[in-house]
This record gives sequence, C-alpha cells and structure tokens, in this order.
Amino acid sequence: MSSRKFSLPTYLLALVFSVLAIFPFCWMALSSVKPLQELYSVPPTWLPQNFSFENYTNVLFSSNIPRYFLNSVVISFGATTISIFLAALAAYGFARFRFRGQGALQASILISQLLPTATVIVPLYIILGRLGLINTYAGVILVYLIHTLPLCTWMLIGYFRALPFEIEEAALVDGASRLLILFRIVLPLSVPGIISTVVYCFVSTWNEFIFALVFATDRTVKTLPIGLAEFTSEFNTDWGSVMAASMIMTLPIVVLFFGVQKLFVGGLTAGATKG
Amino acid sequence: MKRRRRWNQGYFFIFPAFLVLGVMVLYPLIDTVVLSVTDENGSYIGSRNFVQMLTSRTTSLATYNSIYYVGGSIILELILGTVAGILLDRHFVGRGIVRSIMLIPWVVPGTVAATTWAWMYHFEFGIINYGLQSLHVISGPVGWLTSAELVKPSLIVVEVWKMFPFVALMVLAALQGIPASLYEAARIDGATFYHEVRYIMLPHLFGILASVSLLLLIWGLNGITIIYAMTGGGPANRSLILPIQIFKEGFESFDFNRAAALSLVLFIVLFAVIVIQVSISQKRHGAANE
Repeated sequence: MSSRKFSLPTYLLALVFSVLAIFPFCWMALSSVKPLQELYSVPPTWLPQNFSFENYTNVLFSSNIPRYFLNSVVISFGATTISIFLAALAAYGFARFRFRGQGALQASILISQLLPTATVIVPLYIILGRLGLINTYAGVILVYLIHTLPLCTWMLIGYFRALPFEIEEAALVDGASRLLILFRIVLPLSVPGIISTVVYCFVSTWNEFIFALVFATDRTVKTLPIGLAEFTSEFNTDWGSVMAASMIMTLPIVVLFFGVQKLFVGGLTAGATKG
Repeated sequence: MKRRRRWNQGYFFIFPAFLVLGVMVLYPLIDTVVLSVTDENGSYIGSRNFVQMLTSRTTSLATYNSIYYVGGSIILELILGTVAGILLDRHFVGRGIVRSIMLIPWVVPGTVAATTWAWMYHFEFGIINYGLQSLHVISGPVGWLTSAELVKPSLIVVEVWKMFPFVALMVLAALQGIPASLYEAARIDGATFYHEVRYIMLPHLFGILASVSLLLLIWGLNGITIIYAMTGGGPANRSLILPIQIFKEGFESFDFNRAAALSLVLFIVLFAVIVIQVSISQKRHGAANE
C-alpha cells in the first residue's frame, strides 16, 4: 500500500525475484529448441545457435508421449467433471440446508484433504485390485476424487453462500424443486466460481504424480507426469526430448491458468482475506 | 425460516460425495490399521510390523532426511514468500507482470520442475555448474544430485522455488486486508517503511503464516514428486524421505503390512502436529480477542 516515490531497492528486488521465478522455465523452452549436439556442448550456449524442432518431432512421432497426453486429458476431464457434479450437490446441501451433524460433516471434508497420501495408497491398491480397476481410466479417476472432491466442495460452498437466497426463494414459491433450482439458478449464477474450481481441479489432476505412479503403470493409462519421469530415469537420458516433452506438458496448464488468473487468484484468496 | 422444514433434503444432496469419500478415504484408513497389525497371510501379529519398521536404520535415516528436507524448505519458503508478498503489495510500474511471472513456478507441474532442474544441475552440461564456474564460485563441476552432502540442499532449492510463490500469494492477500488508514496513521507519526513492516505487516501476517506453514508441512510430508523424479531417494538413501520409504516398502519390496505400519505412524505424528498447531493458534486467537 505504500505509494511512495520511485524506489530502486523495490525494482531491484522485483527483478531478482522475476528472474529467479522464470529462469528455469525459459531454460526449458530454450533447451527444447536446441539440437542435441548443441545441448551437449561445453561451454553451453545461451540462445540456440542452430534452432531446430527435432526434439519436438522426436517426442511427437517416436515416443509414447502423445498417448500419455491423451490419457492425461481423459483422466483430468473425467475427474474434473465428476468432482464438480458431486461437489455442486454437496456444496448446495451444506450452503442451503440445516441438518444435524452438519458442522462435523463439513469439517470432515476438510480433514480428508489433510490426509497424507502415503497412508491410503496401500489399501486403495488392494481395493482397486479387487474391483479390477488397476490400470483403467475409471480407477485412476476414482482415486483422484480423493483430492479433488473435498477441495471442489469446499470452494463451491463459499461461492454458493455468497449468492442471495431471495431469487431461489421466489422459485421455491413457484413450486420448483431444489434440484432444478441448483441446476437452473444457482449454477448459472456462480459461473466465475465454477470456472476457477474447474481450473484448480484440472490442474491438480494434470500434475498429480504419486497416485498415477501406483495405479497407472500400463502404457494405455499412464499420464504425462509418469511418462516424463520415465524419460529422465532411463540410463541414457535424451535431454532434448525431455525438455520438449516438458514444454508440451506445461503449455496447456500455463495457458489455462493465465487465461483465468484474475478469477482464480480472487477465488483462492477470498477466504484468506476474511480471516 | 423455510429452510428448517427441509432439513432431511440436505442429506440427500451431500450423500453421493460422502459415499465416494467413505469408500475411498474412510475404508482405506481402517484397512491400514488392520494391515499394520497382521502379516501377509492376514493373521494377527501384534506390534511386530511396527517394531521392525521403527528399529530399522533406514527409518531413522528417512526420519532425519524428512525433518531436514521439510524443515529447511518451510523456513526458506516462509522467508522468501513473505519478502516477495510484501514486495508485490507495493506500487511499482510492471507490478501486474511481476505478479504473473512469480506464479509460474507454482503452476508448472512438479515433474516438469524436477526434470528441468535435473537438467540445470547436470554434471557435464548443466547451466548451474557452468555459471558457477564462470563466476569462480566453484573450481570444477559439482555433482549436485550425486553427492551425499549436497543432494538434500539441492533438492530443497527446487522445492523452495516451486512453493514460495504460494506463500507470497497468501501473504499478498493478507496484506491487502490491512486498512489503508493504519498506514496513514503510522505515516503521520513519522513511521518509515521498516516500521510499517515491523509493527503493521508482520503482526498482521502471523495468523496466515501459521496456517500456511501447516499446509506446507502436510504437503511437504506428502511430497514425493520432486525427490522421486530427481533422485529416487538416492544416492545411498541420502534423500530418502518417509513417504518414499513407504512407497518403496509397499511397491518395490511388496511388503504391504510394513508399509501400512509406517504410514500409520506418519499419520499419527502428522495428526498430532495438526492438533497442536490448531490449538495453539486458537489460544493465540482467543487471547487477541480479549
């Protein structure tokens, strides 16, 4: 809030932080368009001397990455859609009704978010194994709901509570059912909130690593994070392809995020400012 | 109120979500307890799994590594995040761009952060070794991820890079909640920027930093991604932290029972920390309200 005159330390510090934050990302982008012999040269070049897309063609035409990309899209879309649907119902229940045990149930939603992932992996593996859901889209999506469902519910409760009740009351008087009200009035009114919830959900499933490592070990369901880790851990790492694959994996997220940045940051920090 | 009459409909709305969470969270938790006190054939063996896990040298090494890694990361994230948050709250030309740029590390997927930093740390062709040699900070290339002494600090750098923007965002949000009149009053009294930070901002940030550090602790103790993708816990277990040990015990040695015992211990410790932290912050909150 300090609106003072031009201050050199502020600009210097802003510059240092910006460079720190963006440099690895830039280095990844630059490395991805350098041919291998340039990548493996000492001293390294800053800007690409022989600009080339060969790493990208490698990744796109002679690796599993396109398939993993498809898997990631299917799984993230699936988990996001189901989470939003179930979370909208639950959030509406919490925001608009009073019932016994409400406080405890609402708190338990938050607590399940705090659970260490490592704790539930083993039993989940056994359950999914029994249901025959290991290495299936359905299995991975189901597991992802553990993370996304509580978070989406929590975010949506906030958005729904902020809506005035009067409009719904009018519809109730006209004899509309609660379910109809949720889908025809409440959801359309909270579109900004839904968008930020969707983005958060999509990004967190897109980036998820531990569950995918356990429950998606087959080529047909492996997601991008696993594919990428595989690339690097192989003995002879093709760093050019790794950087190209990293770019391919990051770009959708960055575009999505900055497309709705205003909405998102507002939604995430709304609770923090109130406290 | 009209709402009271329809209390039972509330259950109908929350039921599907709780069904999923019950099956996917509650049941596995109970199952973990059962697994931890049985052997691979399912017969009850009391505390043998716990004794075996808690007395193993690997567990004590992993505990030490976890405290080192998570503790070191949190301290640096809080310091850097607070400085960055205060910076982003000040008015300067290009602030919007700087805010967007600072979000990048947090948005970039964890595995991508891991591979990119692994490339930058590369022994022969890494930009970090080259840069530090050009600046004469080091005389020869350093094996950042293969040296027993350097592997943890090197990984902490990546973790801090990834997470400090989150702290900055939370600090920024809290700072924007401070009424401008407070600063104006302070300035009339001749307060410098240092005074504003020391007597207005930092006291105001206490609550949010406490809850942020709790979140960072939980995420840190869950955070397999960066370490697993960069070193897999090596060299010689020097970067092995507890969640990776649980993972390896379960899915590399296929000893589900011992993995369950160890996860239960981790869960109890974490739960205790959460309870202590919440009760302390409530006490402080209560004291502040009096």
